[in-house]
Amino acid sequence: MTAKPSSDNTASRLSEVKDRIGHVPLIRRNSFVYSFLTLLVLYGAFLLPHDGPPATAGLSVIILFFLLLIAWAVIIFTDELKPEFLKTVSVFAIFVVAAWLYYRYSTARWGEMTYLFFNVDIIKKAWPTLVTGFWTTLLLAVSAAIMSTILGLLLAVFRSFNNPVLNVFIIAYVDFFRAMPIIVLMMMIYYALPFMGIRLSAIASGILALGLNSSAYVSEIFRAGFLSIKKGQIEAAHALGLNPIKTMRLVLLPQAFRVVIPPLVSNYVASAKDTALASSISIIELLKAGLSEKSLLANPSPLIFVTALYLVMFMPLTRFSGYLEKRMKAGQRQVRL
Amino acid sequence: MDNSEKMIEVVDLHKRFKNLHVLRGVSTVVTRSEVVAIMGPSGSGKSTFLRCLNRLEEPSSGHIYIEGVDIMAPYIDINKVRTEIGMVFQSFNLFPHLTAIENIKLAPMNVRKISANEATERGMALLKKVELEDKANAYPEQLSGGQQQRVAIARALAMQPQIMFFDEPTSALDPEMIGEVLDVMRAMAKEGMTMMIVSHEMGFIREAADRILFLADGLIVEEGTPDQIFSDSQHQRTQEFLSRIL
Repeated sequence: MTAKPSSDNTASRLSEVKDRIGHVPLIRRNSFVYSFLTLLVLYGAFLLPHDGPPATAGLSVIILFFLLLIAWAVIIFTDELKPEFLKTVSVFAIFVVAAWLYYRYSTARWGEMTYLFFNVDIIKKAWPTLVTGFWTTLLLAVSAAIMSTILGLLLAVFRSFNNPVLNVFIIAYVDFFRAMPIIVLMMMIYYALPFMGIRLSAIASGILALGLNSSAYVSEIFRAGFLSIKKGQIEAAHALGLNPIKTMRLVLLPQAFRVVIPPLVSNYVASAKDTALASSISIIELLKAGLSEKSLLANPSPLIFVTALYLVMFMPLTRFSGYLEKRMKAGQRQVRL
Repeated sequence: MDNSEKMIEVVDLHKRFKNLHVLRGVSTVVTRSEVVAIMGPSGSGKSTFLRCLNRLEEPSSGHIYIEGVDIMAPYIDINKVRTEIGMVFQSFNLFPHLTAIENIKLAPMNVRKISANEATERGMALLKKVELEDKANAYPEQLSGGQQQRVAIARALAMQPQIMFFDEPTSALDPEMIGEVLDVMRAMAKEGMTMMIVSHEMGFIREAADRILFLADGLIVEEGTPDQIFSDSQHQRTQEFLSRIL
C-alpha cells in the first residue's frame, strides 16, 4: 500500500470490511439451523419405517436420518457463537435418538427382557429377604470400615516412628493380611478359633475378617499420605518443640487427611463388595439373598435389583467423601493441569 | 549485666553422613545477645552445623551445651531444649492447613499450654511487629515469599525463645522481599536477641553481625568481627571465597 489513502478509498474498504463481517454464511444462520431442526422432526415423525427390524431400503432411511442429525449437531457444535444450551441439547439429542432408534428397530425382545430381568412382581415378592440382606451387608461394611480405619491408622502412626523392631512386625502384619484370602480368614475365625476357646458369632467373625484384611490396605494408604508431606513440615514442628505425637496430631494428620480420602473411599467400596464372601460362613448378606431368591422364584430380577441396592448403598459414601474433600479445600488452591 | 553468659557452647563437633565427614571438629562459644553469622562455600557444613545445635541432625560426636545444659545427654528432653531455640528455615515451612495466626498460636497453645485468648493476643502482637496484622487470617499460599518468611519468624518468636537460628532465611526470596525480612532481623538484633545466622547476604552480615564464622570443609577456618574478616582476612581460603563473591 504505497498510495496515500484518500477518503474514497477508505469508504470503499470500510464497506468491504462491513460486508465481510456482517455476512453470515448460510449454514451459520439461526434461521437455517431452526428450519433444519423442523425438517428433522418431521422426517423422524413421518418418514421413518415402522417398528421392528427394517428392510434394506428402510435401513438406509434410518441411517440417513441419523447422519442428518449428526450433521445438524456438528453445525451447532463448530459454531462458537451458538448458545451453550443449544450445544448441550444437540449432544443429548444424539444419544436420546440413538437409543430410541435402537429401541424401535433392533431385534431385541424388550418385553421378554423386562419380564426376566426387571420383573416388578417378582421383586415385590423377594423384597423382604433382599432388605434383610441389605442391612446385613451394610452392618458388615460399616463395622469393617470403622475397625480397619482405626487399626490401619494406628499401624501407620507406629510405622512413622521408624523403630526397626516395630517395623518388622508391622510389615509382617501387612504382608500377611494382604495375601490371605478373605474366605479362608473368615472360615478360620468362625470354625477354627472355637477350638482355641474363642467363640465368635458369624457376623462378628465376618466383621473381624473383613476388618483385618482391610486394615492392611488402609495402613499403607495412610503411610503413603504421611510420605507425601514435605520433610520441612516435620522439621518445623520439631524446631518449635512439638514431640512426635503432637507433630503427628497437629501437623501430619491434618495434611495427610486430604490426600488419603480418594484412595480410602475406593478401599471402602471394594471392601464393601468383599462382604459378599461372608456367605461362606452362612451369613445371609445382600448378594446371597439375591442369589437365593433368584433360585427360589426362578427369575433373575432379584439379582439386578441387588445391583441397584449396592449402588444405593455406595452413593452416600461417595457424596460424603466429595463433601469432605470440598471442605478441606479451604485455603488450598487446586493444582490445575 | 553479665555479657559473657554462655548461651551456646560447642566442643569438637563431628558429623558424618555414612562416608561423608561433613563436620570435622567445630568448636565455638556464643554469648548472650551476640549475633553470629556463619559463612562459607556450599557443602562446607553451615546448615548441618546449625541443625546439629538443636539436634534436627544427630551429631556423630562432640558436645553441645545450650545455656549450660548438655543436650547430648541420654535422658535429656530435647523438645524442652528446642522451645528455647527458635528456628527459621530457607523454605519457610509454614503449616499449609492453618492460617497465619493459627500457625503462630499452635506451639504456644500445645507446648506451653497457654490459653487460646492469650495465644491470639501474643500472636497478633507479633504479627504487628512484623507488619502483617491484616494477614492474620490468610493461608500461607495466599502470602508472598517475604510475607511467609515474616510469619515464620513470628511463629518462632511466639515461643519466646532465648536464641534464634536462621538457616539461609532470604535465599528463597525475590530481591525486593529480602529487604523486609532483613529489617525484621535487624530489629531483633537491636533488641538484644542471641542470633545465629547462616546467610549469603554480605551487606547485612557486615552491618549486623558481631562475629563471623567462616566455615570450609567442615572446619572453622577463620573467625572474627566483620571488619577483621572482610578487610583483613588472614587465611587464603577466606580470601578466595571473599574475592569470588565481593
